[in-house]
Amino acid sequence: MKKIDKNIADAYFREKNIYMVIYFIIWALVSYGIVLIAEPLSNIYFNGFPFHYFMGAQGALAVFIILLFVNAIVGDKIDKKYGIDHRKNEEIGSNSTVNH
Amino acid sequence: MDTQFIVSLAIILATFALYIYIAVYNKAKATSDFYVASRGVPPIWNGMAIGADWMSAASFIGMAGTIMVLGYDGLAYIMGWTGGYLLLTFLLAPQLRKSGSYTVPEFIGDRFKSNTALVIAAICTMIISFTYSIGQLSGSGVVIGRLFEIDAKLGTMIGVVLIAVYAAFGGMKGITWTQVAQYLVLIIAYLVPVIFMSLQITGNPLPWLSYGEIVGKLGELDRELGLSEYFAPFEKGTKWQFLALMFTLMAGTAGLPHVIARFYTVSTMKAARWSGAWALLFIGLLYFSAPAYAAFSRFILMTQVAGSKISELPAWTKTWVDTGLLKVADTSGNGILEWTELVIANDIVVMATPEIANLGAFVIGLVAAGAMAAALSTAGGLLIAISSAFAHDIYYRILKPTATDQQRLKVGRITIVVATLLAGLIALNPPGAITQIVAWAFALATGTFFPALVLGVWWKRSNAQGLIAGLLVGLGVTLAYIFAAKYGGFTILGIIDTGAGIFGAIAAFATNIIVSLATKPPSQEIQDSVINLRYPEQMTYKDGEVFMKE
Repeated sequence: MKKIDKNIADAYFREKNIYMVIYFIIWALVSYGIVLIAEPLSNIYFNGFPFHYFMGAQGALAVFIILLFVNAIVGDKIDKKYGIDHRKNEEIGSNSTVNH
Repeated sequence: MDTQFIVSLAIILATFALYIYIAVYNKAKATSDFYVASRGVPPIWNGMAIGADWMSAASFIGMAGTIMVLGYDGLAYIMGWTGGYLLLTFLLAPQLRKSGSYTVPEFIGDRFKSNTALVIAAICTMIISFTYSIGQLSGSGVVIGRLFEIDAKLGTMIGVVLIAVYAAFGGMKGITWTQVAQYLVLIIAYLVPVIFMSLQITGNPLPWLSYGEIVGKLGELDRELGLSEYFAPFEKGTKWQFLALMFTLMAGTAGLPHVIARFYTVSTMKAARWSGAWALLFIGLLYFSAPAYAAFSRFILMTQVAGSKISELPAWTKTWVDTGLLKVADTSGNGILEWTELVIANDIVVMATPEIANLGAFVIGLVAAGAMAAALSTAGGLLIAISSAFAHDIYYRILKPTATDQQRLKVGRITIVVATLLAGLIALNPPGAITQIVAWAFALATGTFFPALVLGVWWKRSNAQGLIAGLLVGLGVTLAYIFAAKYGGFTILGIIDTGAGIFGAIAAFATNIIVSLATKPPSQEIQDSVINLRYPEQMTYKDGEVFMKE
């Protein structure tokens, strides 16, 4: 157990939250945003679909999946930057439920 | 039809034998490896298991039919049931994993240090899971009704018995590899007919790329009939209903106790975010395909079935009319079945389409097996959530802390039987289509656990009084709105029963925050434990300082 500067831990937390806010903005735009302007979009066609229909049926879902994978990869990078060791985490994680 | 019955039954039995084999094989292996094997299942497989848990009769049997009937407005289900994974994976799953609790009521009981909160959370779990399981029983009724060519009501009764027995197996549920097998059966059973239909209609084996033009053609057909176009937005409800339903389904995803429970079994916070990503990829395979399924079914019905002579309808119509879920009445009396005279229940579209498209006995049987996998695996998980909420959280922790393991097991089993029978009774006359019933469960989760957990994890000032008031108000508002909208015709901005969660969530967030601020803040220890959830496992927050284990 080593004491670390609280500012470093907070920087970790802040960095993750900034990314999270960006993801949520994109998430809201492709789902709620597109639905709000569905009528004008219905005159644009994409791959045979009216565009609003394409976004509802495929586009939004594809963006959601990409965002989740980006989050997982970026999350790993941030952990690495702050020197988090995943083997150690697994150990601690398995103990926390055994003790329960 | 006899061959069809034998083929369908054989495939269903074969898949069940596979699940049980894997369960038994893995159980033996797990005991011997217990002390050496690491507990973490790789996130990619865990993602498949989450997918099997998640995709119920509503996704498998109900969704494509709902989209076919609602057109664009049905896509709220596609975006809602997938977009919720972002809320779950970003806002709750890793933090709840770090907390180390096993169930949602337990997390709430520990976080707020309150038995009252624990009991209310357990009751909410039971109400949500119970509502959800009505939809699953109703779905199994459709499958079994078709299989034996009997009324869907009788099918539901057989389903009740099957599900009660299945849930009693209990242990099977937790075995990841069984769920991986269930996922594979379910996804193959769903994709095969869509790919075949795509080949049949467009000559392209990739339905996801080919069905755009079919959607366009459906719009043309509708225009010729003088109907509103299939893809025209907000024809079946207001824009606000679409948005409210989508929000309800997203937030509900993040608040469903049996889905969250799945993330407690991953090894770390890192594994939680990877499992969420893989899970949505695997779930997405079905969700990308459902609107294609809907479009192809509607296209076949409009071009090949509608317009044929009433006296020359194909054989499949009779078997489905027998289940009471299809009506082909020649109301105009011209001897020809017109599109508008064909009344098809949302819930039979997925099951009936392989027959309509003449895909052969094997594909039809495969779809039946996939539907049973979806309904049974989810129903099993829901009943276990109900029984552990009662037998563990209420009976053992509150009513009788001295209860032995055997007593608790007995209480758990009785709970399962009673809950299944009650849900079955309601499912005999389903109060709505499967997707609709399941949407109510999501509305209840949105009005109760979503605000409670988000504030519990992200706001250290949230206290037991606020939480209890928030849960009760959220539950009350959501239930009241569902009933008022469904039976009283009361709506705000055209938002109907399925979108009720938005009001529950607003009321619950407001109540939780106001009551928390008006009462004493939680103890320093609790506040510290909430801050601690911000950091990965290796970092520990204590008395304003952060420590790192090395």
